Amino acid sequence: MSITRRDFIKTQAALAAATAAGTTLSGASVAKAAIGEDNIRWDKGVCRFCGTGCGVLVGTKQGRVVATQGDPDAPVNKGLNCIKGYFLSKIMYGQDRITKPLLRKTNGVYDKEGDFEEVSWDEAFDVMAQKWKEALKKKGPTSVGMFGSGQWTIWEGYAASKFMKAGMRSNNIDPNARHCMASAVGAFMRAFGIDEPMGCYDDLEHADAFVLWGANMAEMHPILWSRLTDTRLTKPGCEVHVLSTFEHRCFELADNGMIFTPQTDLAIANYIANYIIQNKAYNQDFIDKHVNFNATTTDIGYGLRPEHPLQKAAKNPNKGKFNKVSFDEYAALVSEYTLEKASEMSGVPADKLEKLAKVYADPNKKVTSYWTMGFNQHTRGVWVNGLLYNIHLLMGKISEPGNSPFSLTGQPSACGTAREVGTFAHRLPADLVVMKEAHRDFAEKVWNLPKGTIPPKPGYHAVLQNRMLKDGKLNAYWVQCNNNMQAAPNMNEEGYPGYRNPENFIAVSDPYPTVTAMAADLILPTAMWMEKEGAYGNAERRTQFWRQQVDAPGESKSDMWQVMEFSKRFKIEEVWPEELLALKPEHRGKTMYEVLFANGHTNRFPLQEITDNAGNVYNNHESKDFGFYVQKGLFEEYREFQLNGPKKGHEMAPFDAYHNARGLRWPVLDGKETLWRFREGYDKHVEAGKDVQFYGKPDGRAAIIFAPYEPAAESPDDEYNLWLSTGRVLEHWHSGSMTRRVPELYRAYPDAKIYMHPDDAHDRGLKRGQEVKVQTRRGEVTTRVETRGRNKPPRGLVFMPWFDAGQLVNKLTLDATDPLSKETDYKKCACRVVRA
Amino acid sequence: MSITGLVIHAVPKNTASVQAAIEALDGAEVHKVTDDGRLVVTVDNPDDGKAAQVFDSFRTIAGVLSTSLVYTHFEEDHGEGEHVS
Repeated sequence: MSITRRDFIKTQAALAAATAAGTTLSGASVAKAAIGEDNIRWDKGVCRFCGTGCGVLVGTKQGRVVATQGDPDAPVNKGLNCIKGYFLSKIMYGQDRITKPLLRKTNGVYDKEGDFEEVSWDEAFDVMAQKWKEALKKKGPTSVGMFGSGQWTIWEGYAASKFMKAGMRSNNIDPNARHCMASAVGAFMRAFGIDEPMGCYDDLEHADAFVLWGANMAEMHPILWSRLTDTRLTKPGCEVHVLSTFEHRCFELADNGMIFTPQTDLAIANYIANYIIQNKAYNQDFIDKHVNFNATTTDIGYGLRPEHPLQKAAKNPNKGKFNKVSFDEYAALVSEYTLEKASEMSGVPADKLEKLAKVYADPNKKVTSYWTMGFNQHTRGVWVNGLLYNIHLLMGKISEPGNSPFSLTGQPSACGTAREVGTFAHRLPADLVVMKEAHRDFAEKVWNLPKGTIPPKPGYHAVLQNRMLKDGKLNAYWVQCNNNMQAAPNMNEEGYPGYRNPENFIAVSDPYPTVTAMAADLILPTAMWMEKEGAYGNAERRTQFWRQQVDAPGESKSDMWQVMEFSKRFKIEEVWPEELLALKPEHRGKTMYEVLFANGHTNRFPLQEITDNAGNVYNNHESKDFGFYVQKGLFEEYREFQLNGPKKGHEMAPFDAYHNARGLRWPVLDGKETLWRFREGYDKHVEAGKDVQFYGKPDGRAAIIFAPYEPAAESPDDEYNLWLSTGRVLEHWHSGSMTRRVPELYRAYPDAKIYMHPDDAHDRGLKRGQEVKVQTRRGEVTTRVETRGRNKPPRGLVFMPWFDAGQLVNKLTLDATDPLSKETDYKKCACRVVRA
Repeated sequence: MSITGLVIHAVPKNTASVQAAIEALDGAEVHKVTDDGRLVVTVDNPDDGKAAQVFDSFRTIAGVLSTSLVYTHFEEDHGEGEHVS
């Protein structure tokens, strides 16, 4: 490496950093670097990791991604990167990439107890199709299923959903977003009748105060945190309030840091509503015009198996019904949550709670609230999301710059794919649901299916899929783009026995040999991230596209290619009954692929050369194989749901617009994106003169829904005397299947550890760094004690990250879920810690 | 070879001491300091997998508020595609 070249690259790095800092450099070297004479092709892309959706410029040289930089033109991150985003170019180049299908075999034939051997795609799909057909024949469509992802690209999720719901006639498709966003979705639908935040990231500069409820933005959403930090440091009077069950890095910036006892966020939120009412601080005009009051059904159980004692004890298991009440009745319901009571229950000093309540109640302070898994992974997750909307709605602090209840997202396309495309067991594209006949009718019309193709009953959700695998009711199963054996709760009692049940055939598509892949019967090698043309939708409703930058190694293919290719293995007669076929005889004799994809509609855009504005040419491996522009065909068909469907408000721009824009926030109307929904002047769907209109609801009013405090599913007792909370760390993303293969990130945080209060360690005779066993009623894991560092739990609680495949913390967690959203509570179960 | 461009946000009155602390680190160079406390920094490391620890050490410098990474370039050090001007 010559010195001049090193200087040249360094100048480029300095130049990029200067741009991001909003400044310039001078000198001749800069002019030279700006010419870009390094044979690197740069193109816009989107980060592979969290739901922030940072824009990155991807530098490719000789068929390999060699450089990335924060995209200075990306409105989300304005040129900045977090540490994970910085190492993006390395995630595709782990040494153990799977490049050929692997099937468990003994003596040359498939054997569930055999060892993995390389096979051709043909052999892989032959065996897999045979297993799916056997299951369909024996038990029907409810015996096949798919577990997908909020990391699927938009068209991957759309293709998979169509394949399962229309092709296989099974609603047993659910995304891993069930573990992360389902409670947020549930609350949006209940309060507003339409999913996803009304605000956007611009609130980060507009707000006067920020409140974090169960979100460690400093580590999990670092770029948004840097924007928030900027505002806090530059805007006079700006305040940051942080609520959590343990102290984390956000507390370094907090003006009011509060540690509360797990589950008492329900009481704190109700206290704030009570404070607003007692002090008559509420916005009477807003309430009169835009809100109605309700109370939800209580004592709803914990989403456990029906025979579990806690389920049997519940009066109204899984009931989500809420009934209208008057303002006075609502006021009476929250009046129980006094300052004294909330302080006593939560352990937060009264003056801190009151300071928080005053921020919300101050009509002159614009407040933005952020939350993530602390609220969502909660057995009352839908309720507690709703309680926060109650506060913002009482004050009318919503749908305008800086006043924003904002549900942050964990995955890059939990919004864009899982939620908007509707890859949940009960959903269809653009907020439609399988339970409503009109919605099924519409989907069947777009997809040219006979009436009655889509089953009306929701399929198995994530946690239920594992239970049904174990019980032998779900037998042919396909996992794509996630690592659910490591991620799902209670793997000892549910997940692992389910995958290894001799009645079941499990296929896993992944680029790497994850814990999930190794528990499967067939592993399919997958093209990832920049190895395919893709699209993600982030937490602020921004849809972003990228082109395929490099070819995938070996025989790897994208998830979408795999679904479409697999559908060729089925004659439609093998899947649909005669009475259905009789309604659309033109489908007779066709393959499922021909009915769903090569049908004259989905494949109407011909193969074309993919180029950027500079004339660079890009590959598109799926389109080349199938002979049409697959991504465009699927996206434009998906748009029919948005433009002609029964629910307005999800409109996106035409396909080609996104290859030019740095993302657009839906609804996109007349070519313009929407920054704040439901408010006149910002959202074109609001009727003139209405000021605010929650048009997801028939009466245009948002629902304030009272819900009380109810205890957690499992709390510490004499035997298991600590709360166990799980979560992430900055350096690793989710199960670590990508970030642990980046040497720098691995070295920065190689193994999980358990964060514990020094006095709790001392009481147990434990020292920092000592090996310990963490035990729950479901299993035990060996790890090491950490009493210092970034996370400082209070006495009585321990925190352990779940990225480490060598320390599977989900052997310990309880598969209790929110009975309404079916999302797991990973933040609360009871454990004990003993010497190893 | 691993070359990084990053922006470090420091308390404006502490930028001089922050700059000195950064420049004391191996391979780190400060290219510009803005009035509002932003430092434009590059780090030139051997590609030995330790870059993430170097970045974390910036956090521990007194007066540093946040560290944002902007640019990265990884290349095998065997002269492939070498550019000499």
